[in-house]
Amino acid sequence: MRVHKNRSREFHTLIHTLLALTIVALAGCGPAGTGRDEGETGRPFRVALLTPGSISDQSWNGGAYAGLERIRDSLGAQISHIQTRTPAEFEENFRQYGAQGYDLVFGHGFEFQDAAVRVAPDYPKTLYVTTSGNQVRDNVAGITFSFEEASYLAGVVAGSMSRSGVVGAIGGTELPPVRASFQAFERGARDVNPEIRVLTSYIGNWDDVTAGKEQALAQMGRGADILFQNADAAGLGIFQAARENRNVYVIGSNANQNGIAPEVTLGSVVIELPHAFLLVAREVKEGNFKPRVISLGTEEDVVVWVANPVLAERIPPAVRQQLDSLEVLMRAGTFNLPGLERAFPDKH
Amino acid sequence: MIGIIFLAQTIRIAMPYFFAAAGGVVSERVGIIGLSLEGFMLTGAFCTVLGSYYSGDPWIGLLCGIAGGMAAALILAVATIRFRADQVVAGIAINLLAIGATRFFLRLFFNSSSNSPRVVGFGGEQSAGGLFATFGNPIVWLGLITLPVLGLVLYRTPFGLRLRAVGEHPQAARSLGVSVNRLRYIGVILSGALAGLGGAYLASDQHQFTDGMTAGRGFIALAAVIFGRWDPKRVALACLLFAAAETLQIQLQGLQLVPSQFVEMIPYVLTIIALVGVVGRASPPAALGKME
Repeated sequence: MRVHKNRSREFHTLIHTLLALTIVALAGCGPAGTGRDEGETGRPFRVALLTPGSISDQSWNGGAYAGLERIRDSLGAQISHIQTRTPAEFEENFRQYGAQGYDLVFGHGFEFQDAAVRVAPDYPKTLYVTTSGNQVRDNVAGITFSFEEASYLAGVVAGSMSRSGVVGAIGGTELPPVRASFQAFERGARDVNPEIRVLTSYIGNWDDVTAGKEQALAQMGRGADILFQNADAAGLGIFQAARENRNVYVIGSNANQNGIAPEVTLGSVVIELPHAFLLVAREVKEGNFKPRVISLGTEEDVVVWVANPVLAERIPPAVRQQLDSLEVLMRAGTFNLPGLERAFPDKH
Repeated sequence: MIGIIFLAQTIRIAMPYFFAAAGGVVSERVGIIGLSLEGFMLTGAFCTVLGSYYSGDPWIGLLCGIAGGMAAALILAVATIRFRADQVVAGIAINLLAIGATRFFLRLFFNSSSNSPRVVGFGGEQSAGGLFATFGNPIVWLGLITLPVLGLVLYRTPFGLRLRAVGEHPQAARSLGVSVNRLRYIGVILSGALAGLGGAYLASDQHQFTDGMTAGRGFIALAAVIFGRWDPKRVALACLLFAAAETLQIQLQGLQLVPSQFVEMIPYVLTIIALVGVVGRASPPAALGKME
């Protein structure tokens, strides 16, 4: 019996060792870094995206993923996407893509740029671009979106149409682009109605729908009847609150949210993220990209106000005309808001 | 006016805490650590939306939500009671499982990774936010009576006595003929049903399921259970306290007196203060977390 046990144990050890070796070998056979010695033209153009949230949020992250897909379709790139949850994962995943030899990695959000700046020196052949970022290195660049112009238009609509004289802005967390957007919104509302009161709140995160709804209800309790939301997934709660109270309108952000609750949405401040991503990727692929902060706004047709066609006739004609003339100024690049805090004042 | 708004909002925010904390009380009183309340709530929320979507009836959705919570609790029960798994580990595992499973089935059933389509729900149809709308939601009434009824059951019925006995001294209970394991199963599954009901409230209030919509409420409920020293009356007050802190945070935001980040901290700081102040004197059920 003892002999049998010894042999059995040796046998088990052998099996375990073989299994371990097999697993290690298989892991090593994963997608490896591409051979750099093939030369630039032979290799496929590889682009990756890190998002801070889910790509079905119908807003910030969804737009980025649509941009990635457009890069794949228009430029024939190989694409990859990871949804990151914690800041620790930002750096980890930047390194992974760098090690795998990706040409272009987008970090979608202001929060990614510290990690990008830390990782970039180790992978000089990879270009790291952060959306809403303002850091520039040899292989780090930023895209900033000028929310200010389109948010100003949203403010004009809100200020003109508010019956209670109180409008609200609800954000996820107080990131500089969000704050700049809300300040432009307030400015737009005040320029048409100097008596207007603008309430600003931050939910504290981008995911808690119930908290979003409660924030909206709190602002509605103070009389706000038009809510400007910039809270990604949590913003869905704000739409829900507006749905339940027929006198309240919502203005969406980041993606065309006019379809979420068409009966209560006046319009959206839309970042044409796919267009923006494509512009950058095309420059990178053609090889003439210079690391810089690229500022995109209404002039480049990247951040635009899109009215909701369903409620179009509720916006008074005078307001619509005002919006049109303002948009003409913005597209021509001659629209100026002195004294308005830009998200990144050293740009422009 | 402000007072009514504050009260209505506090009650609305306290609802999921009431349900989940009731589940926590039952589970911990019977000796099983209630770390999975979050997972039960999330599962309940998802199953509610599933039920409402396919049946078009919010009450069926509610029942499905309860069933979902119970199903998740069954997994925990089998793992900890039958297989004697470490309760903390198993509890956290159920939470992770719930996050992953809801995401998976969200993709499978609704082809989305963040939210389901709109379904029928409860309440809020007329001028949401006021007392009228809040109390027009039948689940709110359920929530208000849950902890008092639980208190009655725990302290005034033989079943409640046996449940508490199992959580304090299972050997003594067994020696008197109480079926210890059966009561443990009942306790855990009941806690799943209650927490699932909390999730059902969240989902039917939003009229949809959103990935991760419970956002840590199950853990706050557990904190309320500990803060309330496992007594339903005190737990109800603890839930109200935490809800009031959140309401305060939300109402203060609009006033812009203090930077928003400090205001957001209020509920969490309060939680820490509450627990630090209470922990020294807390005496949990004697057999909590132990399996003889």
